[in-house]
Amino acid sequence: MKIDINFLKHMAKLSRIKLSQKELEKFTPQMKTILESVDVLQEVDTAGIKPMKKRVSFSDLREDIATISLTQEEVLRNANHTEMNLVKIYGKIF
Amino acid sequence: MENNKYDIIIGLEIHIQTKTKSKMFCTCPTGYFQKEPNTHVCPVCLGLPGALPVPNKRAIELCILMGLATHCTISNEIYFDRKHYFYPDLPKGYQISQYKNPICSNGLVKLSNTTVEIERIHQEEDVAKSTHHTEAGTNKEYSLIDYNKSGVPLIEIVTKPCIRSSSQAKEYATRIRQIARYLNISDADMEKGQMRCEPNISIQEKGKWKQEGREVVPIGNYKLNAKIEIKNIGSITAVEKSINYEVDRLIEEIEAGNNIKQQTRGWNANKGITEFQRSKETSDDYRYMAEPDIPVIKISKEDTDRISKELIELPDKKLDRYINTYQLSEYDANVLSANKDVAVLFDKLVVDIENELKDLPTSAKLASNCITGTIFAWINEKGISISSANLDIADLVAWNLALNSKEITKSKAEKLLRESLDNKKDLSKLLDDFRKQSSESATNLTDIVKDVILKNEKAVNDFKNGNKASMGFLIGQVMQITQGSADPNETKSILIKELE
Repeated sequence: MKIDINFLKHMAKLSRIKLSQKELEKFTPQMKTILESVDVLQEVDTAGIKPMKKRVSFSDLREDIATISLTQEEVLRNANHTEMNLVKIYGKIF
Repeated sequence: MENNKYDIIIGLEIHIQTKTKSKMFCTCPTGYFQKEPNTHVCPVCLGLPGALPVPNKRAIELCILMGLATHCTISNEIYFDRKHYFYPDLPKGYQISQYKNPICSNGLVKLSNTTVEIERIHQEEDVAKSTHHTEAGTNKEYSLIDYNKSGVPLIEIVTKPCIRSSSQAKEYATRIRQIARYLNISDADMEKGQMRCEPNISIQEKGKWKQEGREVVPIGNYKLNAKIEIKNIGSITAVEKSINYEVDRLIEEIEAGNNIKQQTRGWNANKGITEFQRSKETSDDYRYMAEPDIPVIKISKEDTDRISKELIELPDKKLDRYINTYQLSEYDANVLSANKDVAVLFDKLVVDIENELKDLPTSAKLASNCITGTIFAWINEKGISISSANLDIADLVAWNLALNSKEITKSKAEKLLRESLDNKKDLSKLLDDFRKQSSESATNLTDIVKDVILKNEKAVNDFKNGNKASMGFLIGQVMQITQGSADPNETKSILIKELE
């Protein structure tokens, strides 16, 4: 993966973050360093090694029983804006 | 919509909300329809920090059941993945879905003239309901969100691009809805959003492309036309209509030499057209990753065997049996197999009538006429379902046998059934009353006929003078006195005898 200023622009777009040209230039080498250090993991030979992910049986799954949820007041408590008990979000989101 | 120059290539994605009591990854109740907003919501549906998803066993069973009903291979391990995107209907910032390893894969659904191949069926969660508005005064755009729907179990059924016409697409969607309803996987009510169909369509020149698994690939230097996805389809009829519209539009564009851009369009049912929503110049970048909060779930053969016990005979098998074993017309067989409750009633009725008559095709024909005739007319008139009609099988059997033995005329029998349905009267008692009356009236019939002859001198003279229509009038008089219980043929022969 080529980590350049276009890669960072794409990441910023997906994360809905606006970055100035100056910020893009500043963060690109930082991002590169971070990803390259994580990339070291790719050098480990994992051929034939099964993932260490935990496995559970089907019977261990949760039974389909509904319980009481949060109150409407609790749900809306963290919303900056509400209208008719709905969470209100400003901005064009299409 | 057959076209000499182009092939129509359709793939269908169908989302179905499965019928569980609790949500996919938390214990909030699912029934959100017309409920007070934001009352079926917990930290898991809200994606609050630290909240962890716990998969719902029943939801996964229903996904597997759908897979078994469509002849899919069921995976022996279930993996969940995170599909990332930023949108307020998804407060976690990702939807828990399945990417590389769906629970069900490589299935098929047989239609009347073709077979639709299913690529995959995977489990995911629904998102919140959002509506979009503009604020009066400030003119600011805003959205309103109800999180009750967020986290409701959702399965996605994806076909290969193997559907070739709008009518096939419609038949396929109808079949999927039927299976979901038969197996109680979902009510699949499209108006309530419990089932959503999203066709993707492309038009390619004949002989210039081929299908390789899930892909459409060009032959030689041919440049494929881009594909279009249609959203906002609110009914099965709209599946067909929207595809017809879009196919015509695409062919016009191509014929005009325009380049088709990959895009999502919305179906506008009022105008009967598709409208541009957004272009898809780059493929969506969902940054899928394995969901670390949910372990891998092992599915044993015992698990799938247990779930397959819920597989009852599906409509296509019933249809086949009704036509080939019961010797019903294709039309009747379709009508009787379309709805599970109707089919269950019909099957019971046939077995019980056949026990008495020992003649399967006749028993099936009787049961079919009884249900598709008076009973359907009545439930349609009342706007109720067959299950709420409180029909008594034993009574219906007795009724059919009486009709078959010609003990009762068809019109009288229908009258009795109608009366029993309208007034919640015991049908077997009505039949008994009828029998008593008719044995009395048989002895009385000659007397009644004599009486009618005496009282209708003019009609009698007319008849004797050659006016044959007068016979109808005289029979009518007898029918009126006997309140329709007299047999018209018998009445006629007595009349003729008495008039000689």
